Amino acid sequence: MTQDLGPTPPDERPLPRRGVERLDLMLLCLEALDFNGGEAMLWLSEQLGYGGLFPNRVELWKRRCHNPLRRACRRGELAAVETDALIRILCVMADRLYPMLRSLLSRGEEEAVTEHRWELFRQRLGELLQERMNPRRSGIQTLLHPLQGAEERRRLIRSLAFAAGTGGFERMKASLMDAVG
Amino acid sequence: MIQSAPMKQSLRYDQISCRLQLDGLPDVSAGQSSQAIGILTRWSLEWLGRPQLEGRREHLEALMAAVLPYARHLISDVARPFGDPEAPVSIEPAGEGHHRLQLRSSQPGVEPLQLELDDAELADLVRVLDQVRLDPRLQLPLPLPDPRPLRHRELSRRTPLARRLAAPLGGALALVLAAAAAALLPLPPQPAPEAAPRREASNGQAPPSPPQPPQEPQPPLPRS
Repeated sequence: MTQDLGPTPPDERPLPRRGVERLDLMLLCLEALDFNGGEAMLWLSEQLGYGGLFPNRVELWKRRCHNPLRRACRRGELAAVETDALIRILCVMADRLYPMLRSLLSRGEEEAVTEHRWELFRQRLGELLQERMNPRRSGIQTLLHPLQGAEERRRLIRSLAFAAGTGGFERMKASLMDAVG
Repeated sequence: MIQSAPMKQSLRYDQISCRLQLDGLPDVSAGQSSQAIGILTRWSLEWLGRPQLEGRREHLEALMAAVLPYARHLISDVARPFGDPEAPVSIEPAGEGHHRLQLRSSQPGVEPLQLELDDAELADLVRVLDQVRLDPRLQLPLPLPDPRPLRHRELSRRTPLARRLAAPLGGALALVLAAAAAALLPLPPQPAPEAAPRREASNGQAPPSPPQPPQEPQPPLPRS
């Protein structure tokens, strides 16, 4: 299922380092929510017309490895067209997983149920972080910490919820470009 | 979803906790199709377990102008109020994970309506407003600014004031302490003035000596 996410803003500047970090971390959060997230990203990239940019999962992985927090980090700068494609994939995936994002953020449910959901998410995200990210980076250590990382994990999920949907692309891209303009 | 009527059109947008319905007419003079809305006559927003909101076009514009930029800032973790205190709609943070939406009636003497939303309900509202904004059937010009990156100064809001002031205050305190410690140190001894006694001695007169106390006879030292 593809959706029209609105026109691409004319900003063609590359994402700053911090933006690339957040973008990859949010994609990782979606993988933590969806066990087949990696496959879903590849499928969505084809559905959205990015088959030429990311013809296979290795190419997609290579773009994501520009995140400086990765264990195996690639140098160089991602082109705006590549980061735009990743942001669109992120927004459509967040839209598909919106019920899960919402259930994590909702205060209207039983506290024990919500806590259990957060704990499952924390464990799964922790596994992915330990597998792919550099554990010596303070940001990763914070995210891995059960208590100190709770606020940051909630921020990531909230950002995904507000970026999900038809108008999320522009908001998310503007946020990832913070402190550049 | 379009519920057909002779001319009147209704567009409905649903999310888990809220439903927005727009009623209006196509602007035939502008060449709009019969399924479009070019003239908005009324809108209503239904919340689960909350009073229904209704308004005219300017109220919908005010709702979008307050909520969408607020959500944009929340993605960057900057929670700041949007909408003037006199505006029909304003929104502000109300504690961790909560947001206070205030709606003011244009009729005099009516108290503003306050709604406390959690993150999930606010996300529902944002999705509904996005659907409205991007729906090609709604052919109303909605004056909304494009989302833009925040500047360093705007991003500093997400750091608590105490943490922002910690570095400069700590530096100033260290400077004051260092200055106080330096003031407590004894001054180095002044070099003895040697030139003046020599000049007086060259005149053949001895310098006046201070009066010496009379010396008392010392007792003999005991032999060891």
